[in-house]
This record gives sequence, structure tokens and C-alpha cells, in this order.
Amino acid sequence: MEWKRTREPADAWHMTDDLHVEHGKGDPFAAAIRATRMSMIITDPRQPDNPVVFANDAFLRLTGYERHEVLGKNCRFLQGPKTDKAAVEQIRAAIEEETDVSVDILNYRKDGSTFWNALYISPVSNDKGDLQFFFASQLDVSDRKHSESRINADKDRFEKAVKERTAELEAALDAQTTLLHEVDHRVKNNLQMISSLIIMQRRTIRDEGTRRSLTTMLERIEALSTVHRRLYQSKDVSKFDVADFAKDLVTDLLTASGRAEISPALDLQPIIISAEKATPIALMVNELVTNALKHAFKSKPDGMSAGRLGIKMSQPDGHLNIEVSDDGIGMADANGDASFGMRLIKSLARQLRAEIEWRDTGPGTKVVISIPNEPQEKGNVS
Amino acid sequence: MIEPLKVLIIEDEALLAMELESLVEDAGHSVVGWATSSAEAMAMADATEADIAFVDIHLSDGPSGIDVAKYIGERKSSTVVFMTANPKRIPDHFAGAIGVIAKPYTMNGLTSALRYLQEGVRRPPPVSARPAGFTLSPAFETAWAPAA
Repeated sequence: MEWKRTREPADAWHMTDDLHVEHGKGDPFAAAIRATRMSMIITDPRQPDNPVVFANDAFLRLTGYERHEVLGKNCRFLQGPKTDKAAVEQIRAAIEEETDVSVDILNYRKDGSTFWNALYISPVSNDKGDLQFFFASQLDVSDRKHSESRINADKDRFEKAVKERTAELEAALDAQTTLLHEVDHRVKNNLQMISSLIIMQRRTIRDEGTRRSLTTMLERIEALSTVHRRLYQSKDVSKFDVADFAKDLVTDLLTASGRAEISPALDLQPIIISAEKATPIALMVNELVTNALKHAFKSKPDGMSAGRLGIKMSQPDGHLNIEVSDDGIGMADANGDASFGMRLIKSLARQLRAEIEWRDTGPGTKVVISIPNEPQEKGNVS
Repeated sequence: MIEPLKVLIIEDEALLAMELESLVEDAGHSVVGWATSSAEAMAMADATEADIAFVDIHLSDGPSGIDVAKYIGERKSSTVVFMTANPKRIPDHFAGAIGVIAKPYTMNGLTSALRYLQEGVRRPPPVSARPAGFTLSPAFETAWAPAA
């Protein structure tokens, strides 16, 4: 640094003051300091309270003070009520430790207006390493600070808005979840009550035909109940596994029927369908399985003996295939269109746009239902 | 012949309790009491000797079935089986209960569950297949249905 070469640094600023008179003549370095657009000052730490001993014109323009108002004073006259205490402390510490410091600080002009000062201070020592001066430059960065604070304000505002909206949505979701649980609970309880009413009614009835009707009705209601229970026990209430349902249904019908001679043969691939198809498909499977149990195994010629109930579910090329087969006496009394069960199966098949086929496999019957799988289902699987 | 079970019913819906009682009796067991609130249930648990208590979670005084299960579990007077439309409300440790019968249950499902429980309580572990709609607690899963 040029400053360090100066033999008598204490007089250096007097020399530059002289240069001011002889503008442009003498030390060109000092002239440059005086004339630059960059605001600069020099303070003398060897004097009490480290006063300003030199200020260039740019500094006076920036702060609005006259030269005689600043010379001999400590720089703290630039501070004001809104000046950050931490920034002031940072400067104070750097001066004390005789190190350089760069800090953005809010300063006050003579007229009380403020500006953001990108302040840089560095100590100047002589050849022996003794501290001589502090050199400080000031750059008005108010524009940058304002846009920074505007960006921060925008960011805060957006973050606040996002937070508020998130809270609103979470509250709405909570309310909806509570409502869903409440409705689900009521539906389940009501289904249970419908079943209970049918069972109680049946107890009072002596006529075998009427009792059978009520049993069939109970089985249909219970098929719906099982769908609902399965649907709301699963993680995703919009998807339903027909294979799981069939397992429940067959276990339920066979274990309690006491018909140990019927062995179920289940060949079930998971078949995931959308919830709105669950009820018609479940009802259809219920009809076929209960039909197989009721009719196919009734009064076999040899009295009884091992019967076979088979359910197969698979998904070949865009279709859901459900096969229910038995090796009972066939469906002599079950294939009449008059039967309500049959009508139910056919109507449900129409609703599902399913193909339905009865095959006499002598002995026994096989019913094959083929339901077109919707494109949306394929999409959801991936 | 396995000895039948004595059953306590804790259920606030009269219709369901009534029907459950019939099904329990049809299966050859006996019902020793019916309570609709937690206070009534706790008093009844103290006053009666039951093998199994079917406990609904939602009772006439609110979702207090879990407290009832804890109370019965601490006294070891009988063993709880939850019977609820809200199985997700049951805590992970099941408050000492055997398991849960999820509503809506089917008539056959309940009959199978009674047989399964009878075997499990009288001659554990049960030999019947676990009925559809019946879930064992982790503790009873270990005792009654250890992984093969």
C-alpha cells in the first residue's frame, strides 16, 4: 500500500489537504482519493476516540455534512435509532483487533434520511507495523437492500399464504376423514342391524319355504356386509380384491354349514377392481357359490360323498374371469329363468357388461363369467 | 364335548345385543349379562363370572370400550373380544384382548368365531380355521397361531 511508504503518516492528510488547494498538482494518488466517486474517509486511532481526519467530497455528498462538521468527530454520528446494534458491535470489535471488516449498516444523513452503507474498513500500519490510520470506504447499497427486503417480504408473504392454505386444507381433510369414519360406522352398524332383523324374524317362522327365502335374503345382505367390511378394512377404499372376498365367502359358507364333505378348490389370482364394481361382482359370486351349495350338492344319487366346489379367478387379456364349478347333480332346477337368483345374476352381468356362460360338465356345472376390465383399471395398476 | 362358554355382552345397540344373545345361545353357550355403558360393564364384570366378554368400542357413554377392556384385563375376570365397526380404533396392544370381530359380521362368521373361541379358551390352541372377519391380537397370534 502507498500509505505504508509514507514516512510521516501523521502529516499525510495535511499534505493531501494542501493538494486540494492545488487541485491536480502534486501527489496524483491523493488527488485521485479526493476526486473519486467512491466515498472515503481516514480516521486516526492514535487520537482520543479515533476521530475522522480526512473525508473526500464523495463522503460529504453521500452524508450531506460539511467537511468541518465531520473532521475531528468519531464516525458514530452516522448511526441512528434503526442502526443494527450487532453491525456496530462488529465494527467496534474489528477496530479493537485492528483487522479489516466489511459490513452492511444502516446510516443516517445530516437531514435524518437513511441509506444502506456497504462499509469497508481496514487498518493502515507503518513499516514497523504500528497502527497509523483506519481507511474506510462507503458505498450506498440502499437499492440492493430495498430489493432484498422486498424479496424477503414477498417470500414471507407467500410462505404465510401457503401455510394458511395448508392449514385450511388439513382442517378440511380432517373434517372429511371424521365424516367418512362416522358414515362408515353407521353403514356397518345398519348392515348389522338389517341382518339381525332378518335372523330374528326367521326364528319366529315355522314354514320351511319362508325360512329358506329369509336365509337367501340374509346371505345376500351378508355378502354386501362383507364387501363393506373388506373395503373399509383395506388401506385403499377405492379398490377391492374379489379374490379375498371369495375366500371370506367360501370360508364363511362352508365352515358354518357343517358340510365337511364339500372341499373347496380355490385357484385365485388377486383381482383388483374399482370399489363401484365391488357390490355387483360380490353379489354375483355370492349367488353362484350359494347356488352351487344349495342345488348342486342336494340329494346326490349316492346319498352324499365328497363334493367339489371350485372357484377360479384369473385376468387374461383385459378381462376378469370368474369360474365357479361343482361336481354335484347339476342345475336341473336352477337354470330356469324364473328363478330370482338367476335373474339377479343376469341383471348384474348386464350392468357389468359381462359375458356369462353355463357349461354342463356332467357331472356338475361350471359357470364362467367374463367381465371386461376398464382401461382405467389398467392405468391404475401401473 | 367341550364345555360351553359363559359370555358377557357389552353393546349399546339393543337390537344387536339381542341378536348376539340369540346366536350365542343357539351355539350352546350362555349369556351371563348385557351392559350398554362402561360403568355398567365394569360393575357387571365384577359381579359375574364370564369366560368371554364381547366388547363394542362405541358404548352409550362414548368410545369407552377400550377402557372397559383394560379394566377387565387387569382383573383377569374374563377375556375380552372386541366387536366393533371401527377396528382401526383398537390400540396396537389390544388392551389384552384376544382379538376383534369386525362388524358387520355374518351369522356364520359369528358362529365360527364362537367355536374358534371355545376351542381357544377351553383347549388352546384352537384347531378350527380362523373365521373370516376375525383378527387375533399380536399376543394371541403368537400363542394361538404361531407362524409355521
